[in-house]
Amino acid sequence: MLGYDISWAAFNIIEVMSASKFTFKRIGYLAASQSFHEGTDVIMLTTNQIRKDLSSPSQYDTGVALTGLSCFVTPDLARDLANDIMTLMSHTKPYIRKKAVLIMYKVFLKYPESLRPAFPRLKEKLEDPDPGVQSAAVNVICELARRNPKNYLSLAPLFFKLMTSSTNNWVLIKIIKLFGALTPLEPRLGKKLIEPLTNLIHSTSAMSLLYECVNTVIAVLISLSSGMPNHSASIQLCVQKLRILIEDSDQNLKYLGLLAMSKILKTHPKSVQSHKDLILQCLDDKDESIRLRALDLLYGMVSKKNLMEIVKKLMTHVDKAEGTTYRDELLTKIIDICSQSNYQYITNFEWYISILVELTRLEGTRHGHLIAAQMLDVAIRVKAIRKFAVSQMSALLDSAHLLASSTQRNGICEVLYAAAWICGEFSEHLQ
Amino acid sequence: MIQAILVFNNHGKPRLVRFYQRFPEEIQQQIVRETFHLVLKRDDNICNFLEGGSLIGGSDYKLIYRHYATLYFVFCVDSSESELGILDLIQVFVETLDKCFENVCELDLIFHMDKVHYILQEVVMGGMVLETNMNEIVAQIEAQNRLEKSEDQVLA
Repeated sequence: MLGYDISWAAFNIIEVMSASKFTFKRIGYLAASQSFHEGTDVIMLTTNQIRKDLSSPSQYDTGVALTGLSCFVTPDLARDLANDIMTLMSHTKPYIRKKAVLIMYKVFLKYPESLRPAFPRLKEKLEDPDPGVQSAAVNVICELARRNPKNYLSLAPLFFKLMTSSTNNWVLIKIIKLFGALTPLEPRLGKKLIEPLTNLIHSTSAMSLLYECVNTVIAVLISLSSGMPNHSASIQLCVQKLRILIEDSDQNLKYLGLLAMSKILKTHPKSVQSHKDLILQCLDDKDESIRLRALDLLYGMVSKKNLMEIVKKLMTHVDKAEGTTYRDELLTKIIDICSQSNYQYITNFEWYISILVELTRLEGTRHGHLIAAQMLDVAIRVKAIRKFAVSQMSALLDSAHLLASSTQRNGICEVLYAAAWICGEFSEHLQ
Repeated sequence: MIQAILVFNNHGKPRLVRFYQRFPEEIQQQIVRETFHLVLKRDDNICNFLEGGSLIGGSDYKLIYRHYATLYFVFCVDSSESELGILDLIQVFVETLDKCFENVCELDLIFHMDKVHYILQEVVMGGMVLETNMNEIVAQIEAQNRLEKSEDQVLA
């Protein structure tokens, strides 16, 4: 733990592991789990010892061996012990069954050929009477399915049944997350899921479950090709619930709510529009991660009417912003918002040019080239604006020596280049 | 899956380090230091989720942490775990420690490092969550403690 290598003690650790007293055995396995790895030469000596412990009458000996093994299993160990662990999955004690099921995942990772024979038994465990074993089986199958979703689509009906019957939140969360990963592959599954998920959203009091349900509903709605009328109700429900999350005083819930909203934004921007005021409020939050998330959301919220107001708010933030990364982020965002969809939302280009000039006066920005590119773009494409642009640019060039200091030089250079170019190209407007 | 569980104090000294994937010792220490620096910068009233930490691998991983008095409990998890669920799990782990040690404090973690590991082994195994019910965990720990005591009648 403190960073000192103890591989020289590997053989001694094995000796302790083979002690008959539980106390010592436990200590041996703990040391092994912290230090053994695939490169440890003596690890093959442990195979027989582990096999003995796995078939020991004392459940705690077996338990400690399973736990230790999960940390240092190698392909050889996995191959040799897979059968023993498979038999343990049907042990009388649920404590052992639980551990055996969980360790099968590690065994599968190291020795993939063991998956085929073990799979039927693993499926059986999904219906095990003990909830702990059931949840372990769900855990393992969900992990396997994330790696390779196609092979597990056939299990979807079984999971569906579990989802509607289980009350254990952890199991529900895992299954719902799994469905979220499966829906892109099977749109019909998505359609069937909407109803039970909406029921869960209405009935649950656990925030974690609510959040996962909302997330999966969003994933389902994104994968369904076109929005049918009843789906807009689901979107509205999600947005409503997310609003509750964002309004909560708990920062974590706010963060997650904003994260999920941005997923909805990509496909259903209109639904998010009505919550503009809330998002703008989040911009004022003390927490930087929340501010960054709110910034991401603003993208979909602008319209011709509110663009100027939003940018004005962002500019006040730019003045207040302490760290330069946040400030740069704001700057890129302002430019992104203004220039999106071919300047669709800008009604007054003169105002935009003056904003760009104001942004130039910022200290130490890394995005000088962005501002420069924007100025050039607008000046070239909007003929009517050229006179105003040129007057602004010449003013900028005149005051350049006042603005330039060593920190600003990097950002300012690009802009001055653009300013000079504009003045030269449209010199007919120069006084 | 949980990639790593780290517990360190306000000065960055590791009190519990458990990796569920093999890293050489120097890299392990580097990860602990890097995580400490990331987590130290966070104020107490902002959210408990962090993305970052290049060493611990990939954009799929998040750091979920909780700060209790002098200790930071940090779980490095991938996207298959529910963030709020893991926050709850950290709480369950700390409450279990409290129950097993009676008003746990940092000194307990320093002097009874093995016991802390045994408790953690009942909660998370091989990077996956084994048990989330505190009473169940405590029952198993106490049963094992009784077994140890009965073996050591001579030494007890």
